[in-house]
Amino acid sequence: MNTILGLGFILTAGLFSAKLIKRIKFPAVTAYLLLGILIGPSLFKLVPEGILNSSGLISNIVLGIIAFGIGQNFSRYHLRKIGRPIIWISILEACGAWALVTSAFLLILKQPFYVSLLFGAIASATAPAATVMVIREYRARGNFTDTLLGVVAIDDAWCLIIFAISLAISQAVYTHMMAASFLIKVFFNSLLSIFGAFVLGAILAMLLSLLYRFIRTQTELLIFTLGFIFLNIGLAIWLHLSVLLSSMFLGAILINSHRYSFKFFDALKCIDSPLFLLFFVLAGANLEMHILPKLGIIGLTYLIFRVIGKMMGASLGAKISNAPESIRRYLGLGLVPQAGVALGVALIAKSDFPIVGEMIFTTIIATTVIYELIGPLCTKYALHKAGEIPEGH
Amino acid sequence: MQVKEVMSKEVITVQRSTTLKELLKSFGKFHIFPLVPVVDGDRHLRGIVSFHNLVDIFSSYHPDVLKLVPFLDEEEVDIFKIDISEDIGNLVVVEDIMETEFVSIPEDAAIEEAYKLMRLHLKEEFPVINKAGWLVGMVGIFDIIQAVFRQKGIIK
Repeated sequence: MNTILGLGFILTAGLFSAKLIKRIKFPAVTAYLLLGILIGPSLFKLVPEGILNSSGLISNIVLGIIAFGIGQNFSRYHLRKIGRPIIWISILEACGAWALVTSAFLLILKQPFYVSLLFGAIASATAPAATVMVIREYRARGNFTDTLLGVVAIDDAWCLIIFAISLAISQAVYTHMMAASFLIKVFFNSLLSIFGAFVLGAILAMLLSLLYRFIRTQTELLIFTLGFIFLNIGLAIWLHLSVLLSSMFLGAILINSHRYSFKFFDALKCIDSPLFLLFFVLAGANLEMHILPKLGIIGLTYLIFRVIGKMMGASLGAKISNAPESIRRYLGLGLVPQAGVALGVALIAKSDFPIVGEMIFTTIIATTVIYELIGPLCTKYALHKAGEIPEGH
Repeated sequence: MQVKEVMSKEVITVQRSTTLKELLKSFGKFHIFPLVPVVDGDRHLRGIVSFHNLVDIFSSYHPDVLKLVPFLDEEEVDIFKIDISEDIGNLVVVEDIMETEFVSIPEDAAIEEAYKLMRLHLKEEFPVINKAGWLVGMVGIFDIIQAVFRQKGIIK
């Protein structure tokens, strides 16, 4: 199959498999992943080599677009509006999963520190789309629902920050394990990666605002926005900075500095869906089936400790911010789903750490499929216990 | 030519506390639901309501935060079949459905600038504000086209 035929097949098959899976109330992401696994090299071998080889390119573009959108979370208006409980709960549930999964991999599974840290960072992500699907399906409403949605929406932003820090530390640990000035190098590398990404995002946001006055039509706005996102991703790769952080900073600085910044984010909505579809199908296709049997205990540890970390963190955050009892007890359960951002950052881990990367990526795909199947049930249970699913649903 | 020279000064406005029932009643005789400015008592412009926001009432959940969620599946709502309570007419107020992110145009902007913004944002009308952020009128694409026809002498 040639590359273009393969692309056409993936897009159409992806669309109809999503329609099919929606009938049994699962998010489209699950359909794309399963389709990818089915048509990937491990099973039916229907994905052309050319597309598989460009997985890295597509994931970098998609992650750049996602991170740019996630930057909107840091608008002054939004941060003022969401309030203390959401901030506390989201930070602590993300850090809870990070700390607990890292510790479990380090102490129970005796994995190297940099591998444990990467697993921990990926564990901090959630899947807001799956949560929204459950909320919509059961027409849930109320304080618990609002808090849950606020937490899952901002959680991915914390995940990107946690992952960027962890990746910088892991790379430094991996590269300079034997160096005498080890700690200084780890610290310096992490700081450079974050600060450099901020400076790059800020410079491009300023340039974008400056050139915006030459944009006259909606088509030009789309090309302009996409062009700047690509410039940002490309420069971040070239300068060895975090693609995720620089894209997020570009979005965050833009949303706070430009009067009509929301239009840049809106413009992307007409092209992002097919890119996201391709990204998830390719993520599924990249699954190394032969590694799966070896991952039993690793997968199980990740599955269990991520959920415990999220539940404990959410509960602590709710306690600190004096949130109601139902939020303290059940909100963590609503955070079980895992999908796009976790897969995206796992792909980065795969390309940056060739030896352990495949094991990390395969574990994350396998656990994503499990989480996407059981996650919505946990979210439904949490909403039910909080008394926010109306009778008859 | 400035926007204030071509805009309509008589505008039907609503307040944040206006109920859905009152809103629908105000525009009951219109064929197309216009862009409705939402103002405070002092005419400070706080938001806008468009027909999209009216359709959103049939959705199960529509707060601003959904705009921040990546990979969100579109909600397919059949407005003809969905069960919706009669009480909603009094329970939903404009503040629940209005857009707080919108484009407005200063009254002293040139009509060329207003036309450019309409093409850029794919909109056919904008609320017009003064320096204090108060609503002073509405300008539509037809106001601008008429002004151009007038300048060319096609209409008097």
